[in-house]
Amino acid sequence: MLARWGKIEIWLGAVTLILLGAGLWLAMTAPADFQQGYSVRILYVHVPSAKMALLSYLFLTGCSIVVLWKKSETADVLAQASVSVGAAFSVVTLASGAIWGKPMWGVWWAWDARLTSMLVLLIIYVGLMGLRSALDPGKAAKATAVMAIIGAVDLPIIHYSVTMWRTLHQPASFSKTAGISIAGPLLIPLVVMAVAFICLGAYMVLVKARAIEYERRIEALELAEEMGHEEMHHG
Amino acid sequence: MTELMRYLRGAYRIAWKDVVGDLRRRATLSSMIFFAVSVLVVFQMAFEPTRQEALRLLPGLLWITVLFTSLVGLGRVFQAEEEDGALEGLLLSPMPRGVLFLGKWWGNLLLTLLVELCLVPLMLVLFNVDAWMRLHLVFGVLLLGTLGLTALGVLLAAMTQTARSRETLLALLLLPLVAPLLVAGVQATGAVLGSHGPDATPWVRLLLVFDGVYLVMAPWAFGWLVEE
Repeated sequence: MLARWGKIEIWLGAVTLILLGAGLWLAMTAPADFQQGYSVRILYVHVPSAKMALLSYLFLTGCSIVVLWKKSETADVLAQASVSVGAAFSVVTLASGAIWGKPMWGVWWAWDARLTSMLVLLIIYVGLMGLRSALDPGKAAKATAVMAIIGAVDLPIIHYSVTMWRTLHQPASFSKTAGISIAGPLLIPLVVMAVAFICLGAYMVLVKARAIEYERRIEALELAEEMGHEEMHHG
Repeated sequence: MTELMRYLRGAYRIAWKDVVGDLRRRATLSSMIFFAVSVLVVFQMAFEPTRQEALRLLPGLLWITVLFTSLVGLGRVFQAEEEDGALEGLLLSPMPRGVLFLGKWWGNLLLTLLVELCLVPLMLVLFNVDAWMRLHLVFGVLLLGTLGLTALGVLLAAMTQTARSRETLLALLLLPLVAPLLVAGVQATGAVLGSHGPDATPWVRLLLVFDGVYLVMAPWAFGWLVEE
């Protein structure tokens, strides 16, 4: 089913490459921030990947609802793919955040609300991978879908609770109430990078989903072959 | 009304079977209690807190111990159902899945509460914390946290029941999800004991939100998990 999307995949890959190139060039030529200096450039990777880590979970939740509702195999493949992609983006977010935090805060890590939430999100992604690999394929689809939905309900509570717990992070720049607080020359590369990362995420999900689909087909074939051998022995 | 009573009685029967069976075999409850005690011993050896420090660390230690101890209990929630197709028998009973969940949850809840009943006085004695006058408040906070913890825990136990290395997996899935519970429980207990700032209200509210969410969601999700 997903193999038919090969054309889309190629085009999406090309667009991603162009956008990423343009975004990186813009980011590297952007002026230094008044307070943060050139370290601000790390945020052109950090912020889009943080958004993608969350967006992947949103997509995963959608796929999981479809899995429970329609029992769709394609939705399950996409869900499995988006778990890996989301995990990758959360690792990038945490790593780039630490690199940015060292010169800005003087420490690699601080237990503030958004960092803690992102770390918990990563653990939930890892848990979902673990759950899928520990269950029989027949049961894995439904169980991981239920788990993903539980996580989707839990994540806002986690975020709310750790925000209550402590906050030290700089306020979000894309806040609805405060208005956009980034100057134009720094904003344009950020927007380009954000669009590039959305394309990148979609491309990664498609490639991963195709790989998962092949993997499952190979497993099914191997199983069929084993059964065939057994029948020959019996006959 | 009679229908509701029938369901509640069914759930009560399942819980009764689990709790009494466990007490007679002396299986889960005793290992939970002794696990909790060994956590306390290890903690004392690792930190050697003074009385002042003990008061400050007590809420966190209490909740960590409860969390880890509940993992011991949760690993065995569906153990009896694994043998001789007992789960199929349970699923064939003329009860909605939500009622089956309710029964399993009540059983685990009762065992966990019994462990906590032993644990808290023991901690006050072992760490020389004089909070006997506030014991009922600590138990109140613990009860609120345990409702949500066991509801989510029993659900995840059902999810990982057939998984390979399920105990590790259960911990990996449960611990991040109960983060709000841990934060709120520790802060509320600290406020009650007078070591973490004065006001427990926002944290108790957070505990109530968590309980509400999982008491609504868990029976529904359980229905999806055990459906053939």
